[in-house]
Amino acid sequence: MSSHMSSRGLPEFELLIPRTSPEAMDMLAQHRDQLSILNGGTALWNYVRGRNRVTPYVLSLSALKGLDYINEIPGDGLRIGAKATIAQLIEHPAVSAKYAALHESGYWFGNPTVRNMATVMGNVLRASPSADCSCALLALGCQVILQNKSGQRAVDIDDFWLSYDVTARKPDELAVEIRIPEPKATTRSAFQRLTRVRQDLAKLNVAVRLEMDKGVCQQARIAIGCVGPTTMRVKKTEALLQGKAINDSLLEQLATSVRGEISPIDDQRSTALYRQQVAGVIVKRTISRAAADKGATQ
Amino acid sequence: MKTRSITLCVNGRDYTFEVPHNRTLLQALRDDLKLTDTKYGCGSGECGGCTVLINGKDNINSCLTLAAEMEGKHITTVGGLTKNGQLHPIQQAFVELGAIQCGFCTPGMVMKTASLLAHNPNPSEDDIRRGLEGNICRCTGYENIIRAVQKASQMINASATQCAGGACS
Ligand SMILES: Cc1cc2nc3c(=O)[nH]c(=O)nc-3n(C[C@H](O)[C@H](O)[C@H](O)COP(=O)(O)OP(=O)(O)OC[C@H]3O[C@@H](n4cnc5c(N)ncnc54)[C@H](O)[C@@H]3O)c2cc1C
Ligand code: FES
Ligand code: FES
Repeated sequence: MSSHMSSRGLPEFELLIPRTSPEAMDMLAQHRDQLSILNGGTALWNYVRGRNRVTPYVLSLSALKGLDYINEIPGDGLRIGAKATIAQLIEHPAVSAKYAALHESGYWFGNPTVRNMATVMGNVLRASPSADCSCALLALGCQVILQNKSGQRAVDIDDFWLSYDVTARKPDELAVEIRIPEPKATTRSAFQRLTRVRQDLAKLNVAVRLEMDKGVCQQARIAIGCVGPTTMRVKKTEALLQGKAINDSLLEQLATSVRGEISPIDDQRSTALYRQQVAGVIVKRTISRAAADKGATQ
Repeated sequence: MKTRSITLCVNGRDYTFEVPHNRTLLQALRDDLKLTDTKYGCGSGECGGCTVLINGKDNINSCLTLAAEMEGKHITTVGGLTKNGQLHPIQQAFVELGAIQCGFCTPGMVMKTASLLAHNPNPSEDDIRRGLEGNICRCTGYENIIRAVQKASQMINASATQCAGGACS
């Protein structure tokens, strides 16, 4: 009797479960693009089931030790290991205290079960323009540390997503750590997303980081997702904020500018027209909330 | 098809068996071990029907997990909460408060509740609503489920049970 009766199966592959990092590096070097890396599995398995196709090899990170950390290094910043989950992220006191945009992106993420499985790294490596933590990370700025047999390199998040589903990772590399620079006492950040119901993927998400000085914005980074093939920055709009006090007329200018900088498309979650309109509104709200230092997880 | 021999510890009992590499934990439980108390709803992490506990505390979707990755971990399904024919307080509260209609979502709801109460023994109504997100119920409208979780939390605290999942032994 068929044993696949009671639930949907996965296409066939050979599963590799390395126990040490050198073992994992050897497997990556040997199988390269014939291999998929499996972390929490919350994105990979839906991707695979959607296409009913998978690479011949799947390398599970499940038995690798010492990668599930989130460490705050005073004077340096935050380091997130490859296996750290969204649940760990939102429970970390330094993340909620100093990296508000990232905390909020985790707080609104999926549902509790998915947050226990999904990793921050998997969110970045999935290279989807709707990814929430990725949006916050682009606004905060960070580096992704990639490792292969011969060593490590750091790639700036601004250069990491090349197009939909394509990253700067080479086939023999494992992404091992995310490094976020330490914010100043005057750095503010916030994240907001729009979904139909809570656990949906975003129709639109926005994250901002502002360097404030007595009510004046010295520098800004604004990231928007679901409006192009990758999560993107709106640099012309960012420039409008430089050296300005944040008030209603500036916020109106920013909203108009954002609408001119993006060219969203229609898809199953929303329409281009709606996204175009609402992006300006959400950018305004996220900036005022960041500037006022008001969290959005209550 | 490639297979490997794995040992799963489910509800305190070790099972050693051969699985294809692409076997999900949900398939291994239902099809190999015939433990059909864990339900298949969507296979994509959206419904919560397949929720099980890992190491007595953390809830995961068994439809998005490979069986072979679970070596060495303790898995609890709803069947593992019942001890010597006695319902667990969470199960009892669900029965008493009419939190079960067709019952399809119930195993997942009960396991999600076990995880919630293991982490937060005194959840507020908001904590419960947020804590049960991801588990979908077609029948009850959720109200009686919320009441049942509140009641279960009182029952467990009253009997001072240390491990809400009942799976820490
Ligand atoms: C019900 C549900 C709700 C969801 N809700 C949200 C949401 O609210 N917001 C959101 O952004 N996403 C959401 N997702 C999508 C998904 O959960 C996230 O993208 C998640 O962060 C992926 O992490 P993972 O560890 O599960 O990755 P996996 O699925 O294991 O991997 C994802 C991709 O990253 C690659 N990868 C992972 N780790 C590494 C590594 N260390 N080195 C190199 N490559 C790697 C994998 O090869 C794969 O291509 C949801 C998914 C589900 C099923
Ligand atoms: S069957 Fe796993 S979440 Fe629906
Ligand atoms: S009781 Fe029928 S789905 Fe919940």
